[in-house]
Amino acid sequence: MTFEIKGVSKTYTSKKHGEKIYALQDINLTIETGKFVCFVGPSGCGKTTLLRLMEGFENPDEGTITDNGVLVTEPSSERGFIFQDYSLFPWLNVLDNVTFGLDIAGKPEEENKERAYKYLEAVGLKDFANKYPHELSGGMKQRVAIIRSIINDSKSLLMDEPFSALDVQTKHKLEEQLVNNWRGNDRTIIFVTHDVEEAAFLSDEIVVFSRRPGRIKKVFENNLPRPRDRSTYEFQDFVNEITKHIDESEDD
Amino acid sequence: MTDIRLFNKFDKLILPIILIILWYIICDVLILVPSYMFPGPVEVVNAFIKLLVSGKLFRDVIDTLYKVLFGLFLAAVVGISCGIILGWFKKLERLCTLIISVLRPIPPIAWIPFSILWFGIGTAPAVFIIFMGCVFPILVSTIDGVHRTKGVLIEAAQSFGASSTQMLTEVILPATVPYIVSGLKVGIGIALMCTISGEMIGSSSGIGYMILTSTNLFDTGSTVVGMLVIGLIGIIFDYIFTKIQEQIFW
Repeated sequence: MTFEIKGVSKTYTSKKHGEKIYALQDINLTIETGKFVCFVGPSGCGKTTLLRLMEGFENPDEGTITDNGVLVTEPSSERGFIFQDYSLFPWLNVLDNVTFGLDIAGKPEEENKERAYKYLEAVGLKDFANKYPHELSGGMKQRVAIIRSIINDSKSLLMDEPFSALDVQTKHKLEEQLVNNWRGNDRTIIFVTHDVEEAAFLSDEIVVFSRRPGRIKKVFENNLPRPRDRSTYEFQDFVNEITKHIDESEDD
Repeated sequence: MTDIRLFNKFDKLILPIILIILWYIICDVLILVPSYMFPGPVEVVNAFIKLLVSGKLFRDVIDTLYKVLFGLFLAAVVGISCGIILGWFKKLERLCTLIISVLRPIPPIAWIPFSILWFGIGTAPAVFIIFMGCVFPILVSTIDGVHRTKGVLIEAAQSFGASSTQMLTEVILPATVPYIVSGLKVGIGIALMCTISGEMIGSSSGIGYMILTSTNLFDTGSTVVGMLVIGLIGIIFDYIFTKIQEQIFW
């Protein structure tokens, strides 16, 4: 297994009243290696907080998170992280952004560039290698950000609502590219989203969160056959079933 | 159309030209002000030509520019490196914050007595004063730039396994560049001011020295030449830094 989350809680102190608020309370979850897992739930349910704890950006107040048996205490290149707002380095061009992780790991620059070109070509961005982030569309930026992470051969990829700012066509295209890339290797992907259809399209497992306090409400196996088709009845039924669970948790 | 465009291009010059004409009429035609009180444009042009031909103006400009750039360079090295470190290591910043806030408002000219005591007369005291004047704006805007570095960029670098040194050189420093440049832009204005004041007191060369000595000799034409040259240098530096700022797109 890749991630083992045991009894994790995270609290914040509210600025107004100074009271403790549970962002996450007593989370227990195991994520098998190579699985594509989606976290879904209403906003404020702690799904992003859990993802950040799994990377090691923050540490839980109670409980432990292990990655391949190693306790997570700080960010690591073993775990790639994709942010909602791309987070490309604006002063580096596309090529230098993509090779950033390889370069700081001290790998030979020429090889890094060659590799980067291969990855860029695969997503149709080879001609944009010398462009700067501000010259790219949102979809292009996110593709660069994803390549920048997966080129490092990290064991897992943690993605925080990466496609939520994109238009539907771009989003569907990137979802397909992501699934195709993931099926070609045994990388674990944890994908946070509030879009149930997106989760149903991508995932092996869907973890539904409820809020106040942030808890895991239910874990769904997603057994829809791949490649998936959003227009089938089975797909829509599955989406509806999960949506129902999220709506209930909204009433809490 | 072209008339209007031409007007728009040269409209900044209209008022200065009117002022020069008025100045000419008052000082050179009507002679309402004696030339030892304030020179007319003819005298200024004569003084300019004399200073230019003798090579004195060129020498003084180079001398002043050398001090300005040398002082600014030292201030930039210290201000940027300390700014990056203090901005990143919050505890260190807290230790230094009181010292910085006390030293910062002291006008650089107040350092002149010590600069003469420590460095005597010449280039060194001027460079010291310029350094004292420029280092704080550069330091403070660098610290500010570090604080304003987007959290996601830092976290992204962490997720690639960046070490502390790599974080500072590969992420924090480039992210801070726009703030550093505006610190330098403020700094160079202060440097110019400090140089001239410094040269008037603890120096024997440069435009400031030229202004002071020529006034003592009632050569007010040279005084005005010196003043205008300072203004011109200021404009040029401002233009250069504005161009640099336009190049920075993040």
